[in-house]
Amino acid sequence: MGDSPDQMNYRHLRHAQPRFSGLESGHRACQGCGEALGARLVTEAAGPDVVYANATGCLEVFTTAWPDSSWRVPWIHSLFENAPAVAAGMEAALKARGKATRVISMGGDGSTFDIGFQALSGMLERGHNVLHVCFDNEAYMNTGVQRSSSTPHAAATTTSPSGKERMGKRHLKKDIVSIVAAHHIPYAATSSVAYPSDIRKKVRRALAIDGPTFLHIHTPCPLGWGHDGALSIEVARLAVQTGLFPIIELERGRLAGSMPIRTVRPVTDYLQLQTRFRHLFADDDRAREELEHLQALADHNIEIYNLRGTQADSRDSEGADTVRRGGMRWA
Amino acid sequence: MGLKLTRGAFAHPGTSLRYHTGSWRMERPVHVHRPAPCHSVCPAGEDAQAWLGLVAEERYREAWETIVAANPLPAVTGRVCHHPCEQACNRGHYDEPIAIHHVERWLGDQAIASGWDYPAAAVAHDAPAVAVIGGGPAGCSAAWQLTCLGYRVDLFEALPVAGGLLRSALPPYRLPRDILDAELERLLASGIAFRPAQRLGRDFSLDELKTEYAAVFMAPGTQRSRDWDVDGATPHDLHIGLDLLKRWVDIGSIPSWSSAAIIGGGNTAIDLARVLRHCGVETVHVVTHQSLPHAGVEQPDTMPAIAREIEQAMEEGVIFHEHRGVQRLVLRGEQVTGLELVHRKQLRETDNTLRHVSFEGTESLLHVDQVIPAIGQTVDPAGLASLLDQRDYLLASEHGRISGHPGLYAGGDACGRHGSVSAAIGDGRRAALAIARDLQRQADPDSRPADPVTPAQLNMNYFEPRPRQHAPVLPVAERSGEAEVIGGLTPQQAAQESQRCLSCGNCLACDNCWTLCPDVAVLKTRRPAEDGSHYVFDYDFCKGCGLCARECPTAYIMMEAEP
Amino acid sequence: MQYALEGSQALARTVALCRPQVIAAYPITPQTHIVENLSKLVADGVLDCELVSVESEFSAASVVLGAVAAGARAYTASSSQGILLMCEVLFNIAGLRLPMVMTCANRAVSGPLSIWNDQQDSMAVRDAGWIQLYCTSNQDAVDTTIQAYHISEQTELPVMVCVDGFTLTHTLEVLDIPDQQQVDRYLPPFNFERRLDPASPISIGTLVAPDYFTEARGDHHRAMNNAQQAIVAAAAGWEDVCGRRQNPLICIHDMTDARIGILTLGSIAGTLADARDRYQNVPATRLMALRTFRPFPAEAIRQACAGLTDLVVLERALSPGSGGIVGTEIRAALSEMQNAPRVHNFSVGLGGRDVPLDIYPRIHEAVRAGSGIPFDIIDLEPDKLPAAV
Repeated sequence: MGDSPDQMNYRHLRHAQPRFSGLESGHRACQGCGEALGARLVTEAAGPDVVYANATGCLEVFTTAWPDSSWRVPWIHSLFENAPAVAAGMEAALKARGKATRVISMGGDGSTFDIGFQALSGMLERGHNVLHVCFDNEAYMNTGVQRSSSTPHAAATTTSPSGKERMGKRHLKKDIVSIVAAHHIPYAATSSVAYPSDIRKKVRRALAIDGPTFLHIHTPCPLGWGHDGALSIEVARLAVQTGLFPIIELERGRLAGSMPIRTVRPVTDYLQLQTRFRHLFADDDRAREELEHLQALADHNIEIYNLRGTQADSRDSEGADTVRRGGMRWA
Repeated sequence: MGLKLTRGAFAHPGTSLRYHTGSWRMERPVHVHRPAPCHSVCPAGEDAQAWLGLVAEERYREAWETIVAANPLPAVTGRVCHHPCEQACNRGHYDEPIAIHHVERWLGDQAIASGWDYPAAAVAHDAPAVAVIGGGPAGCSAAWQLTCLGYRVDLFEALPVAGGLLRSALPPYRLPRDILDAELERLLASGIAFRPAQRLGRDFSLDELKTEYAAVFMAPGTQRSRDWDVDGATPHDLHIGLDLLKRWVDIGSIPSWSSAAIIGGGNTAIDLARVLRHCGVETVHVVTHQSLPHAGVEQPDTMPAIAREIEQAMEEGVIFHEHRGVQRLVLRGEQVTGLELVHRKQLRETDNTLRHVSFEGTESLLHVDQVIPAIGQTVDPAGLASLLDQRDYLLASEHGRISGHPGLYAGGDACGRHGSVSAAIGDGRRAALAIARDLQRQADPDSRPADPVTPAQLNMNYFEPRPRQHAPVLPVAERSGEAEVIGGLTPQQAAQESQRCLSCGNCLACDNCWTLCPDVAVLKTRRPAEDGSHYVFDYDFCKGCGLCARECPTAYIMMEAEP
Repeated sequence: MQYALEGSQALARTVALCRPQVIAAYPITPQTHIVENLSKLVADGVLDCELVSVESEFSAASVVLGAVAAGARAYTASSSQGILLMCEVLFNIAGLRLPMVMTCANRAVSGPLSIWNDQQDSMAVRDAGWIQLYCTSNQDAVDTTIQAYHISEQTELPVMVCVDGFTLTHTLEVLDIPDQQQVDRYLPPFNFERRLDPASPISIGTLVAPDYFTEARGDHHRAMNNAQQAIVAAAAGWEDVCGRRQNPLICIHDMTDARIGILTLGSIAGTLADARDRYQNVPATRLMALRTFRPFPAEAIRQACAGLTDLVVLERALSPGSGGIVGTEIRAALSEMQNAPRVHNFSVGLGGRDVPLDIYPRIHEAVRAGSGIPFDIIDLEPDKLPAAV
């Protein structure tokens, strides 16, 4: 249970950590939750002088079961579809009050791609100084793994199951970052929890910009995707290394940067780790066709974003997460 | 319950700390320091990963002190060891193994250049005294360890100087004299009482030592050459390989043959072959019934010589004949003019014994002026006859104890188990520890050594390929004299190599676990914890997802069942 | 100061006087002139605030929600479809106890489509937890809007000021617009204790389990009930500033010993007053206009109905399959009275149908007929009805 007398009480140590704590322990996310990790990394990188609007979804549910809150930042959850609008209101208020505090809007793929799409578009179009962060676990996870427009093609969810007549989700994953970028905002980017330093860099980059910015972070869901919680980073990494989730940056709608893939991995390496794609490995012509389709989609991404690395690079898919010996360094 | 609702049901920050999600766990992460393979295979028992980490942190003196805790002669072993650590290095499965051997040499040379004292506390003048017979690597190692353990040591050496085979048989192009002298001198100055020119049997007896000392460690080496003949025939001017080598090392001259064949597959054979070539013998053959080493191929009968030495010998023009035996000496009178070679192999029988088999019909003639056997040595029975009891070697346990003779310990070549400098050093250390335990009536430790970290357990995603640093090698044309064939690394190179170390089984302080825990259950500590890590697990909140263990690059975190 | 202004224009100026820091604007007939006028005031530098031209009413309500949470005084206005679109947000704002003021320019709700005035929109959201105040005239709307901020910020409950669309919003009349000093004296700067602030962060909008949700609702309900006092006090305070008498909960035209009363909400109170002057040969009638619908001032209503034998509730909405909305609530309130008047509940003027002066004698006729029908749409023309199914 953790109440043994020899258990160290780390309260002091916890409060002395050399990083800003935005999301605290004690939240009720599943083991290995990619979104919890993403939210922790984003709030850490953004620092204390930020207010947050959070859409309905896993993140707000597992962090704020009254009277407990895991947030150490000022935070509001309103509804499912309005986080960017609430954020816009906060931004306007802070501006009117002459405050420099920044505003971040957070939502999952459900709220960002679907029900809150309009609010997001409106916020972007009006040029609010708000960063919207989408934690993309590719389905309505909080309500039980139903498909969203972010669910990848051929993935199984409870509302796009596989069966005799179907091979998982029929439709393709909505290309949200292109749609967002088409608002010609100063900065829109994708990232992944497999590359925490990339997330940090992009959060800071976005917050240093005046105007609407967007960060789309790939966050695996062990429960919904069907893998062990310990594999969340590995799965996220493979999504990037296969080309299925490209890491790119767009400025005013144009490609400004990308994370090259040093060694492209076949999509099967990624798919076979997740039971939501299990039906694609059956001895079935349609399954084989779908595997090819997914490979073609990955190849297409690599082509249009020019993701194939030409040489080893400290910022490519294998260099970006390189560790260094820390030694006695505290921070 | 008494808790009042807040207006609009807002919550205060960080209050989730009340909810201990640690109760969800089915398994928990723990730090497990398993040995790196370099540590597991080192015959001397060095933990190369540990000292490479210190080099990477620019704590050079501490790194050297870590080495000498296990091996007091790094400048020596950093030149002459066959470095099984590099063969076992997990990085070899990623790009190229760490040049552990070369970094060790660099540290040893640094210590000499900087005058770092051997770190032993002063021994009490009334501490128990232990006698060590033999000033070679095994004896020096035992003497050093015993001094560290607080014992007074008298080191007896038959020759006027210490070093044993290191001095007498290792050519200077492999181990320069000044390096050897410097290291030995500094080691002996750490508090060991050195008694040169004291020969067992002639100047003192084992029985005397047994009464005067609390324990005796014997590392007399193998001073007696094996008898060798071919069907009873030998050259009239038979030179035993080791003696020849020693003579060359000592006085630098070799009889001027135009061609010679050395029989044997060990380091002595190779050293001698190279010496002959350096001295101008035009054609030098090495004949062995064993096989040449092939990288990556496991063979049951590989020559015991160090692969690198064999490679350099080949560069220098030595001709190798593997799986060959000498069937007949071709003599003109008493002068050797050739050898009849035959294909020969050692076959393993069903009862697991080895049997030499020569294959009829494969005979050939090799014309040489001289044939030199280098087929191994045995223990000189002088002063040890009763202990040896007709055997070639002293019979000792892995801890150096001699069954039936409490208070007597042995190690090194004299035990006939292995034939390397590092193994001898290891023997000396293990015996010293056993001596200490026995004198304090402590039991031997129960532990079976832990399995080393395997490449599959590491997470290679977090490392970047980087080429191995190469030490300068003298071009073949310049290899003739005493100049070292293999040079040393620069400080930058040593630093680079240490940074390539994957830190198998030990915390790298890379912050991965700290960064990747979704539950903020890994906390960073200002000072390293007792287990060497820089992090602790807050089990109040850890849900046991296993991400930290999976993404730890060094296999330092393991998941174990929740107690 | 007196001005001849269209209702919308007056409201815009009044809102500006209240010094909002954030305004969210999404146009919908008949609210459009309010937001257009506010935009002009901002463009001309008269009003210094952040005007956010949102992309839907849902976002309009969300923007003001966020603005208040971040400590700014905020305003928005809507009608009809917009009110319903933002319905979810209205519940959210009230439940989170965020103070703000919104003008509802009352308009009928689709389908079928109608742009004209009735009160179905604000009635549809009566349970959202907002204070609802119904204005009978544009002057009333001006005064009520200012008081609304005072009430809202004191009670931490949002206030919806209901103003009949077109009838009031698009009518030009002479109005007294207070000056800035008056409003400043009455309305201190907004200082929201629970605002989001990095210096003392809190989490707003948590998940409340059954063990506390009842108390959350209960606290809200209690606050709404207690708000009646704040509403009364705010009116008295504003009277001190501007000199105009306010009727905070219910406006009674005269407390004679009339036995028949007519209670209504909004601008048709004026029509009834004119009609009473015109039609002298009907029984004496007590005219009442309910200003505060939420919280529902049951006691004040009972007192206002003391001595009546018949009470006509004339309302501008209906609940299909049930009948009148206000009437049903009034009936329930009066049922606790000794000698409660008989309640005659009528809907009138749905979808903007003109309420002529002769509604007055028709009402009296219906009372005299004393039908047993608890509810009727008094101006329904049966010949126009399609065949019943």
